[in-house]
Amino acid sequence: MGSKHIAAIVIAALGLGVVSTPAAVAEDFSKGSKAEEFGLVGEKKATFSGKVVDVLCELSGDCPADCGAGNRNLGIVRASDNKLVLVSKNAQFEFNGPVEDLLPYCNKEVDVDGLMIGEDPGVAAQVYMLQFIRNKGEAEWTKADKWTAAWNKRNPDSQGEGPWYRRDPRVVKQIEKNGYFGLGHEVDEKWRAENQ
Amino acid sequence: MKILQVASLCLAVIAPAIGTFTGLSASSARAANAGEPIEIKGEIIDTWCYLSGVMGGPDAVVGTAHHTCALWCAAGGIPVGVRAEDGTVYMVLKVKGEDALAKTDTLMEIQSDVILAKGVHYVRDGVNYLVVENVVANDGITNKNHEDFGPVPGFAIPEKQ
Repeated sequence: MGSKHIAAIVIAALGLGVVSTPAAVAEDFSKGSKAEEFGLVGEKKATFSGKVVDVLCELSGDCPADCGAGNRNLGIVRASDNKLVLVSKNAQFEFNGPVEDLLPYCNKEVDVDGLMIGEDPGVAAQVYMLQFIRNKGEAEWTKADKWTAAWNKRNPDSQGEGPWYRRDPRVVKQIEKNGYFGLGHEVDEKWRAENQ
Repeated sequence: MKILQVASLCLAVIAPAIGTFTGLSASSARAANAGEPIEIKGEIIDTWCYLSGVMGGPDAVVGTAHHTCALWCAAGGIPVGVRAEDGTVYMVLKVKGEDALAKTDTLMEIQSDVILAKGVHYVRDGVNYLVVENVVANDGITNKNHEDFGPVPGFAIPEKQ
């Protein structure tokens, strides 16, 4: 095969679109998304397919059973570009993470809908707010709102008035120990005296 | 020889492009690697509020002002991070052998503290990750920004009964 033939193959490949720049294949993940918007930093609607993974397993090969059984941060390896998307938040509004919503899909292919947020990748980070999830190709979406119910199940002795975060034993322990600002109760009381 | 050179050039051009086309990016090859040893000094932060701006600018969602919310978010299973002195945010995946979302006090005890940590650094697709093997030093909470912002969010300190 001569050099002219090889050059012709390259040109043909270019013509077929086999050789393309990353920008040319960048996907618009907002297409078809029904995610609720909040005006967060760098917010973009994003619906895509991928595989739910244990992030540390994906990075290091340290892979416990069941994606860490709720003790590990989970993410999604996006099918279209193989990018690891860290999922940081579910669709609830009470300081809830996404693990309870993702764990049933550990190592499974899913479709998700939500928001990418954040800017400046490499310094800060872009992460994902999961709002809806389903097994790949299913018709019905499941809302990502399982965290508080799971907390209630884990904490039968912490039921009572107010939201979970006022009753959570680990939170209560730290506030009892170091106060709301973390500097001791005297600092809290000084602020309260001046501001409440 | 000339043909071989041209063929090599063609492969060099086509191979990464085919990877892009098929979705087989370089991240496949670097999945599951050894990471890099790192020593890092920074503040333990609530990454969701810090990155999303949901409660205000980055200066308000760190330190004493955001301490209670950082406890809520850590207990809520939102990724905890280390914000290094240069502003880089590292997502903490493990601390002293404990997974980051383990229902223990390990990460709760150091919320908002400035720590010096030794561990392993991974970076993938623009996100920095950290396995903390040891907290070498802990300066405690040094950013007393509640003097400027009060509690963030404002309801973090309930009205006294």
